[in-house]
Amino acid sequence: MKFYYFHLMPYPMEHDEASSWVTLSNRHYDPVVGQTLYHQYLDQLEYAEALGWDGICVNEHHQNCYGTMPSPNVMAAMLVRRTSRAKIAILGNGLPLRENPLRIAEEIAMLDVVSGGRIVSGFVRGIGAEYYSTAVNPTHSRERFYEAAELILRAWTEPGPFAFDGRFYRYPFVNPWPRPLQQPHPPVWCPSQGSSETVEWAAKRRFPYLMVFTPVKRIAQIYGEYREACERNGYTASPYQLTVNLPICVAENDRKAEAIAREHAMWVYHVGLRMLPPFWQPPGYTTEASLKRLLATRGKMPTELTYEDLEEGGYIICGSPATVRDKLRVFSDELKAGIVCSGMNGGSHEATLEMMQLFSEEVMPHFRDDAHVDETAGVGR
Amino acid sequence: MPEPTRITVRDTPVDLLRDGGGPPLLYLHGAGAGGRWLAFQERLAERFTVLAPSHPGHGASPTAEWIEHISDLAFHYLDLLDAQGLERVHVVGASFGGWIAAEMATMASHRLESMTLIDPVGIKVEGWIYPFLFGMELPQLVATVFHNPFAAMVLAPPDMSIETLALLYRQQTALARVGWNPYLYNPLLRRRLARITTPTLLCWGAHDKLAPLVCAEAWRKEIPGAVLRVFEESGHVPHLEEPESVAAAVIEFCEGRKGSR
Repeated sequence: MKFYYFHLMPYPMEHDEASSWVTLSNRHYDPVVGQTLYHQYLDQLEYAEALGWDGICVNEHHQNCYGTMPSPNVMAAMLVRRTSRAKIAILGNGLPLRENPLRIAEEIAMLDVVSGGRIVSGFVRGIGAEYYSTAVNPTHSRERFYEAAELILRAWTEPGPFAFDGRFYRYPFVNPWPRPLQQPHPPVWCPSQGSSETVEWAAKRRFPYLMVFTPVKRIAQIYGEYREACERNGYTASPYQLTVNLPICVAENDRKAEAIAREHAMWVYHVGLRMLPPFWQPPGYTTEASLKRLLATRGKMPTELTYEDLEEGGYIICGSPATVRDKLRVFSDELKAGIVCSGMNGGSHEATLEMMQLFSEEVMPHFRDDAHVDETAGVGR
Repeated sequence: MPEPTRITVRDTPVDLLRDGGGPPLLYLHGAGAGGRWLAFQERLAERFTVLAPSHPGHGASPTAEWIEHISDLAFHYLDLLDAQGLERVHVVGASFGGWIAAEMATMASHRLESMTLIDPVGIKVEGWIYPFLFGMELPQLVATVFHNPFAAMVLAPPDMSIETLALLYRQQTALARVGWNPYLYNPLLRRRLARITTPTLLCWGAHDKLAPLVCAEAWRKEIPGAVLRVFEESGHVPHLEEPESVAAAVIEFCEGRKGSR
């Protein structure tokens, strides 16, 4: 199994506002505190490479305290020159949010060339709140996503210049310099919540599917749908097409790990993902069929989840190294996921570094049968 | 309430409420009021043959994928007039419906006997940005749209079933398709209003918090000869908050136009 270290780069704070997104005033953001946090977070990502993680991950979110990376490519650029081995996974760029998505093709190619071909390029739509923050029409979200993806893939693979004439994006000359180093192009991943449209789209193109912050039962179901879709498209999914993103909390014993998780891991759900209902589902962002499925299951809002829900639902992996190994086996052996993306939060920078070290020494080595395999070979393209 | 009928306008299915007698009057509803037959329409139906279609994606009219822009809706209703064999009609449009009516008038004033716009959105007014309704929860939404919150009861959904919630989402989506950004206006419309030759009545709630009186002044200035009536007990939806008075003003205005052309 391959391990990627994932960072949200949160701005951890408590507040009483109804939403941590869109409307939470940025007067709460102290740039001096932010400077310290950014450097700690980048240090953690660099340390992950030193400890043996296979990849490090950044991502894009706007106008919130949950994740302060409006431009993941800027963060990736900082990491490219400070690392030398690990893959750098951008999970991902919000394609429909861009007025000029050709810029994504250019930026990823720049990063890929400088990094010597270590970039993984995630394509996402962005969550609902992003459409309030960027004013992009959410009713165009899906179509813009597909169109921008097609544009970027063609820009990477077809010799330019050529003309592109889409519904939302039109260019008389598509001819980006530089071209990416990885051929035919950097691997593309699809982080998603499991909408059947995206599953089909990703499977058809052999793009790895990444389930983010999802209970394990749902992961199993979506993995099943993805595998079926791959078979329908005439091939069997590689384990490296099935990726999961969930927080891990490891400590010397279960009791201590639970105490840390209770105190620090809940913030993401109770504060970070606190949001006004309209921000989750802007009009037209979701198809009516998906909305009805969502309403029928009536899942809990993140703010309603208790520690027990997270633990029992498999939203999070928490415990002693032995416990964490056992729980990871569910993903490696039962779900046959090839890649785990995880962030860790020890409560302080130093405690987080210690937790990372413990994980790399006591957990990771037990899952290294595939150490010689390049997880990006033959997938994502 | 009349029985809804299903008509087809250039392959687009439309759910239509029709009642009353007399000259034809096309009523274009505001967001969230599709498929409703309210006291205001009832009163107009005493003097007019009221045709109240639901916009595509609103009420029981299915979503029309071809509608991308507010002008598509205006052409859709000109097509509806053709399909119904109506050479000239009175048009009454509330809020979003008023925006559609104004677009129609810039295209084809000759098809409109008179036009009543009730607190329309649709133009950019200096010094005013329409509050973003899409990001609001219900209490804030009601407080923004209504001066008299009890008047909101007539638009309350019948239940909170999955079907009802899906309909509310579909209606919001239909509005967002043409009104998310630019938000609730067409940058090209304002300059075109000078082309309107239809006699125009502007009805406005004195306490409109979505499109306040400063907007009414802009419309009055741009549409040649437009008359403004202000309703003192109303917010954004005077036809729901003071239906009798607004209907009386519309009837008086329309009947005053008789033979004037």
